[in-house]
Amino acid sequence: MSAPAIVAQGAPARIVGVLAPGGRAALIVLAALAIVLLFLGPIVILVVTSLRPGWAVYYIYRGTAFTLQNYLDVFARPAVVRAFVNSFVLATLATVLSLGITVTSGYMLSRFDGPIPRTWFGTIYLFRTVPYISWVLPLYLVDYYFGVYDTFAGILLPHIAVHICFFSWIMKGFFDGIDPSMEHAAMIDGCTRWGAFRRVALPAAIPAIAALAILSWLYTWNEFLFALILTGHNTALITVTMAQFVTELGTAWNLMSAMAVLAMVPAVLVTVFAQKYVIRGLRI
Amino acid sequence: MAKVALEQLNKRYGAVPAVIDVDLAIAENEFVVLVGPSGCGKSTTLRMVAGLEDATSGTIRIGERVVNGLAPKDRDIAMVFQNYALYQHMTIYDNLAFGLRNRRVPEDTIRREVARAAEILGIGDLLARKPRQLSGGQQQRVALGRCIVRHPQVFLFDEPLSNLDAKLRAQMRIELKRLRERVATTSIYVTHDQVEAMTLGDRVVVMRDGRILQQATPLEIYNRPANRFVAGFIGAPAMNFIDVSLARNDGRLAAEAEALRIRVPEEQAAVLERQPAQALTLGVRPEHVLIGDPRPENGTGFDAAIEVTEQLGAELLVGVRVAGTIVIASRIDPWAKLGLHQKIRLSLDPRGLHFFDRESGEALR
Repeated sequence: MSAPAIVAQGAPARIVGVLAPGGRAALIVLAALAIVLLFLGPIVILVVTSLRPGWAVYYIYRGTAFTLQNYLDVFARPAVVRAFVNSFVLATLATVLSLGITVTSGYMLSRFDGPIPRTWFGTIYLFRTVPYISWVLPLYLVDYYFGVYDTFAGILLPHIAVHICFFSWIMKGFFDGIDPSMEHAAMIDGCTRWGAFRRVALPAAIPAIAALAILSWLYTWNEFLFALILTGHNTALITVTMAQFVTELGTAWNLMSAMAVLAMVPAVLVTVFAQKYVIRGLRI
Repeated sequence: MAKVALEQLNKRYGAVPAVIDVDLAIAENEFVVLVGPSGCGKSTTLRMVAGLEDATSGTIRIGERVVNGLAPKDRDIAMVFQNYALYQHMTIYDNLAFGLRNRRVPEDTIRREVARAAEILGIGDLLARKPRQLSGGQQQRVALGRCIVRHPQVFLFDEPLSNLDAKLRAQMRIELKRLRERVATTSIYVTHDQVEAMTLGDRVVVMRDGRILQQATPLEIYNRPANRFVAGFIGAPAMNFIDVSLARNDGRLAAEAEALRIRVPEEQAAVLERQPAQALTLGVRPEHVLIGDPRPENGTGFDAAIEVTEQLGAELLVGVRVAGTIVIASRIDPWAKLGLHQKIRLSLDPRGLHFFDRESGEALR
């Protein structure tokens, strides 16, 4: 009789003890594998579906017919191309325009105390506690009364506001992790308060700011709810356009998948090329 | 090089006072150490001198200038921080040059100053590196270098050695002393470490709860503490305290506690006679607790049982129970055969007796 079997008889309740030590490692690997599969599964199905002809979508286990035609079909639609351009411009502009305010307001929240930072903090907190979906209807009305509904400004401004609200918070966390005595040293070394921020705190926060820029860009790129309510034909965005493959005559799963795969490309690129940067930023 | 004067300096955070009525005059090139437990207001005082905190009231003078309203950059000071506070994204050279570049100093002057500082501190081969690549001791050297390149009026040190391990700390302490000789500058040094205070300071300022309790030379502080707190804070192992009451015995004054009767020396007796307070605390440093009673005529001998011993190699510390507290005796021959619970005869050196009012803690002298 082998030793592990004796252990198993002696302490049947202790699974970890039974498996120790090689079995335990195997269990962890299996669990990790299961989690990876859980997340990878839908993506695999999505990619496979995007490569199948329309008639074969529901019969994934039958034929072996694969095609790139879906991608060509998707790009043949001007609405899709326009949606990609719109989403790209929107995400980029919203990120660029919000970043300055996000960074400075995160810095203020981290370093200063007083009525202004406290009010600002309270405001952001309030917005964050309200369910996201409940902003949409008021924003629709605001857009409508200002006459910017279904215009680029009508979707850009809300996105900038959301970025500032959500990401000031994260930026505060980044700056909390940067030792303020570095800025104090700079002030003694001849900088003004603003100079200490610009020349010492800001360069130290660059990995965090890069991570934040990527996060905000992807946020707008992926956003659906605002896009659905606040945009129309004039400013169609990818997420909404994608959903339009669901029609009364049926759902073009193959085309929708092809578009979804294309929409994933930026996130994948970021993961592959900027991973280290993002992780370093998130660790600060 | 300039004088520094703090006059009636106060700092409050809302209703909480952090620094209360601090008066401190520092002479040119004097090295003053502010020492006290955490939260005693020493760092806040330093940061007010630096301009990183605003004083609630009072005056700060550097040289002849009142600097209360001035920004840190206009005070002509340099500061070393506990966590070095080097600019992480710059090379060591740029770290050292940063302050000079801000003052629009010509680049070849900067190069000369950086080279001089690097030579003094022995960091010449590190100039191209980034702070992250340096050890703690090296980083602190760079932080010192950043101060000396600028030739400021005043150096401020905020617990500069606290992040270093014990061995390196001892080494840096010596280097700081050497640095003082090469670059003599008025300095204010904040620490909670009484060893640093004793070894570095021309003058030691002991603070607690936002107030200055005593300021004097290290020897004066050690030998004539103004109150019980200072007596207990400075010195390691710490001073022993025994609650005693005064009694008259054969016409001579004695301090008594359970199983203890110590004759008060003439000089102190005269002082204690005038004191209305009867509840006293006797303080005696461990090195003034002697094993044996070589001079019984002093009347300071007593018997006690050993409760604890600590072997330090160079000396032995022995703790005995006297009147409900442990009294530590130091500087005992490490080879002495002393067992636990052994009854031994001890005596107090009459020159090392301190008496404190038990209520106020003030020294009676």
